[in-house]
Amino acid sequence: MSEKIKILYVDDEPDNLIGFKASLRLDYQIFTATSVPEAINCLNNEPHIRIIFCDQRMPGKTGVDFFEEIRVSHPLPVRIMLTAYTDIESIIDAINKGHIFRYVQKPWSEADIIWAIDEANKFYMANSMLSIKNDELQKAYNELNKFAYSVSHDIRGPLTGILGAINLAREIDDVEEMKAMLFLMEKSVQKLNTYVLSMHDYYSLQRGELKITHINFNTIIDELKSIYALNSKTNDVAFNVCVKQNEDFLNDEAPIRLIINNLLSNAFKYQNKASRNKSVEVNVEVKNSEATIYVKDTGIGILESHLGDIFNLFFRSNSLEVGSGFGLYNVKSALLKLNGQIEVTSVLHQGTTFKVTIPSI
Amino acid sequence: MNITFSFIIIDDSELDCFVTQKFLERSNKSLTINTFQDAEDALKIIRESRNKKSKRPTIVLLDLLMPGMSGFKFVEEFEKFPAEIQKMYRIIILTVLSSNSHPIDIHRVLNNGTVHSVIEKPLTKEKLISLLDDIEPGQ
Repeated sequence: MSEKIKILYVDDEPDNLIGFKASLRLDYQIFTATSVPEAINCLNNEPHIRIIFCDQRMPGKTGVDFFEEIRVSHPLPVRIMLTAYTDIESIIDAINKGHIFRYVQKPWSEADIIWAIDEANKFYMANSMLSIKNDELQKAYNELNKFAYSVSHDIRGPLTGILGAINLAREIDDVEEMKAMLFLMEKSVQKLNTYVLSMHDYYSLQRGELKITHINFNTIIDELKSIYALNSKTNDVAFNVCVKQNEDFLNDEAPIRLIINNLLSNAFKYQNKASRNKSVEVNVEVKNSEATIYVKDTGIGILESHLGDIFNLFFRSNSLEVGSGFGLYNVKSALLKLNGQIEVTSVLHQGTTFKVTIPSI
Repeated sequence: MNITFSFIIIDDSELDCFVTQKFLERSNKSLTINTFQDAEDALKIIRESRNKKSKRPTIVLLDLLMPGMSGFKFVEEFEKFPAEIQKMYRIIILTVLSSNSHPIDIHRVLNNGTVHSVIEKPLTKEKLISLLDDIEPGQ
């Protein structure tokens, strides 16, 4: 362990405190207090104290009173009672009111104390792991709830649509009408496909570890450029890229690709079809160990009132195009992983610009 | 079938709009059918219908989960309209149902009386016929 375990010892007799500190200070970081207010003050200043030893018999408040009080205000440290006074009443109180972990009898031996510290520390670690795991679980449950809700719309929705279409197909004789419907069915199937693919992205972002490599933004952008070349041509959207990288950049490449790809996909998707001057622009600059990426489009824009929600899971600002509500949420998760930032500015009917900054590791 | 309704279909899925429309057309060639992928657009049309006299009663087939304005929000807004507009419309919810998705919300809109009934997707010929039979005596 790199850092010593922090321990607080409360006793009204300074000699006891000195003795305790003298024999344990090499292996542990010891804090001492001669009264309850002093002890509480110490706990407020040192939030990482793991174990508290306290004498039972003190003027003013007893050890049990002290433990009972901090059980609510400072629940994390493990409480150990230290006393020569062994009547059954105080033991019962210490257990029932103070929820103590151990009871060490005075005069104590160093071995007793060290053993108690070891056990208490294990207990503390297990407890804090549990609380971290609990938080993670709570987050996972919240997202699971959103999933359950979206499954009905994003998976069952297209499926029942296709089922309805199959049902209707029995009645259709006209080939043109059938073709029109097949076209719409294809769109629904694509939507399902996109959904499943983004779900995979979502999963790998939540679970995967960082894989740090040297990143060449020219390579990434060139690849994306060839991917979007067809889209650019068929939809008559000018696609301009500019990369300035004169220094080494280290980070995980997969989330970076995912971020740029998602932003580009949106930039192409949400163009105003009727507009004459459609364009998508990507600018990447790597400077002072930081990459700044701009993705700018001349598309339909985002309502100002929606801007706060666009990074939420399953939020969709617009129903005109096929979308899963995963895209920008995945972008945000990827940035969280890379310790990056995103900003958005948008003017309705004029276009949207996303600015992403990612630090080199 | 002697139907004197017109229809409004509100569904964010293009395919669902198409399928529902075709089913309706097959049941009666002379129906007026308007489809909307955005509930807000439909609401606007209904709001403006106040000025048109001697309109046929209109059945609104409404999806619930939609980006932008949801079906619930649509019903909420619709309930703010004056009674003379409201009585010209019958709202029928046509949606994907699952055991855990918003049963309470559905009960709420049904209890208000604004919504006539709920039909589970996918729409079939049989469901449509029973729906039309069901709604006619009430008018």
